[in-house]
Amino acid sequence: MTILVIEDEPKTGDYLQRGLAESGFGVQLARNGRDGLAIAREGGVELVVLDVMLPGMDGWQVLEALRASPATEQIPVLFLTARDEVHDRVRGLELGADDYLVKPFAFVELVARIRTLLRRGPVREEELIHIGDLEIDVIRRRVRRAGTAIVLTAQEFALLHLLARRQGQVLSRALIASQVWDMNFDSDTNVIDAAVRRLRRKIDDPFPQKLIHTRRGMGYVCEVQAAGGA
Amino acid sequence: MIRLRRSLAARVTAMFVLIVALAASGLGTYLYAHFVSEIERRDDTALLGKLRQIQLLLGRPGAAELLRSQPDLFRDTMSGQENSLVRFLAPDGTVLADINASGERYPVPPSAGPSPGRAAIAGWTGSRGDRGRVVAGSARLDGSPVTVVVARLYAERAAMFAAYRRHIAWAVALSALAAAVCSALMLHRGLRSLRTVASHAALVRPGTLAQRLDAGDAPSELLPLIDALNAMLERLQAGYERLSGFSADLAHEFRTPVANLLGQSQVMLAQPRGADEYEALLASNIEELERLARMIESMLFLARAEQDEVLPARQELDAPAELAKIADFYEGMAEERSLRLACTGGGTVLADPLLLRRALANLVSNAMRHADEGSIVTLHAQASAGATVLSVENTGAPIAPEHLPHLFERFYRADTARGNADGSTGLGLAIVRAIMDVHGGSAGVEVAGACIRFTLAFPTAGTVRGPDH
Repeated sequence: MTILVIEDEPKTGDYLQRGLAESGFGVQLARNGRDGLAIAREGGVELVVLDVMLPGMDGWQVLEALRASPATEQIPVLFLTARDEVHDRVRGLELGADDYLVKPFAFVELVARIRTLLRRGPVREEELIHIGDLEIDVIRRRVRRAGTAIVLTAQEFALLHLLARRQGQVLSRALIASQVWDMNFDSDTNVIDAAVRRLRRKIDDPFPQKLIHTRRGMGYVCEVQAAGGA
Repeated sequence: MIRLRRSLAARVTAMFVLIVALAASGLGTYLYAHFVSEIERRDDTALLGKLRQIQLLLGRPGAAELLRSQPDLFRDTMSGQENSLVRFLAPDGTVLADINASGERYPVPPSAGPSPGRAAIAGWTGSRGDRGRVVAGSARLDGSPVTVVVARLYAERAAMFAAYRRHIAWAVALSALAAAVCSALMLHRGLRSLRTVASHAALVRPGTLAQRLDAGDAPSELLPLIDALNAMLERLQAGYERLSGFSADLAHEFRTPVANLLGQSQVMLAQPRGADEYEALLASNIEELERLARMIESMLFLARAEQDEVLPARQELDAPAELAKIADFYEGMAEERSLRLACTGGGTVLADPLLLRRALANLVSNAMRHADEGSIVTLHAQASAGATVLSVENTGAPIAPEHLPHLFERFYRADTARGNADGSTGLGLAIVRAIMDVHGGSAGVEVAGACIRFTLAFPTAGTVRGPDH
């Protein structure tokens, strides 16, 4: 899994490279559009994270060049932009960008979007999700843990389903608000915390092993952690 | 050329000259025509008078003898003018006498009896191209009938009329010239107040927006322009002041999280620390940075809404469903604070769903922050003619009435001591108002004791104003 990051801002480029490498991706970093395009043409790149404002050849031009060549036209491109004017997004999507993120963004959000883009294709919705001794029957909307049935509200179920579907991924509060409640703006983050606390009371509190974990400053992750984990 | 064509003064002057020239030529033509016809009428009367004189002369005894011996006597009765011609004809057409010194040939009209009128006069043209008039009448000469023909040439008339026409042309040209000069001068004077306004307007700078254009001695036609310009200046000044006030607020609000970030990080780096302390610092920094990012996002939204760049995608939405959605979102938080969210009312609302949710979420989160523990926060929808009103009501610490008008202002906090410790950016209600503005609706607040109620009035389909209508 090699991700090509094209970003001219030194700090941004460095932390993206480091963060993505630590998230398990192979990362190549290009500091300008021309170098980035050359790397993409060499092959082996599975996804491009592209900054719009680049010196010399800007992100739009790089995107156009990528889409113009059969060797690179299939590579998914995630745009990073400091501008979120509607026409900028429309232009990016029209030129063939697959997704965009407006700066500043949460790093976990970027990783989540990259995973989604790489997973494209026939996504099979699992009918039964297991996490440790937790079992979620997606079709019947039933949840059992250690053989005990747990009754969840519709909202709690939607939240648990999202966390379980993205098992092992840190989900930002903004992403959770958007996916579970369709609140696509920066809302009161305490709301998500409260909702997660409610869910935890039913899913985790009665059991010794915790499944929903807080990543301070980043969001929530659902996974089986070795004892003593954060 | 382009300047001249676009110059108001040049255009008005040209129009004025044209009008004066047309009026003067019309008047001149009318007077000339009247003058010519009057002269001709007098000439004809004189000609008929001559004929009458000769007829009387012929009726005297011995007139035939006189005609034979002294034909000139007859011509003398025509005042001795060379251009007067007289001819006597016998009934059979024989010329009895012909007084015609210059030998002019002229047509003889049929005799019109003893006293012809003007209608019997015929016109002719002399050998040198001059206009002539001729008339014939019957008389008796020694008992036998004769025809008297009197003709006259008006050689001097053509020259006189030509001179008269020249005078008229000169008069027209002179009046046009005078009109041009006068109107140019008058316009220059008349437009002086316009130039004054322009020079005043040229002095307006960002720092002098408080100045207004002087309407002092401006003519009434310019007053609407001056008033409009002054109103524009007023709006600009208000916007400018709001903007600079905003930047000041902004700097102030940014200072706190930035100071936290700097201070905490510097303290932490001053000594070697354990990994968990660094972790805690980073997490705390992320929280501050997230607050900053939220503030930036909110302010961008406000700036765009003020520049009309936020265009609502209005849809007909079920109001109770929207309220329920928000209540559902806040359910967990309400439970933690022992609050209850109640949705009442009904109807539909015409709004952009994303913006509507954002406004409602801001109101609900604001209400929950200030609600008394264990109380009920009520979300209500009511559709009436012209507007659908959504409201969020809570009971809590009373708010002094003097705060009410300012609650929707950016960074305004009724409780100054509270600051933004609870994570609010101080922009939530300002965003609510901006959202209502782009919908052409209004946001309001009312207080009754411990009960505070925020209302959002969305105009209904027929009354929607705004960029998409």
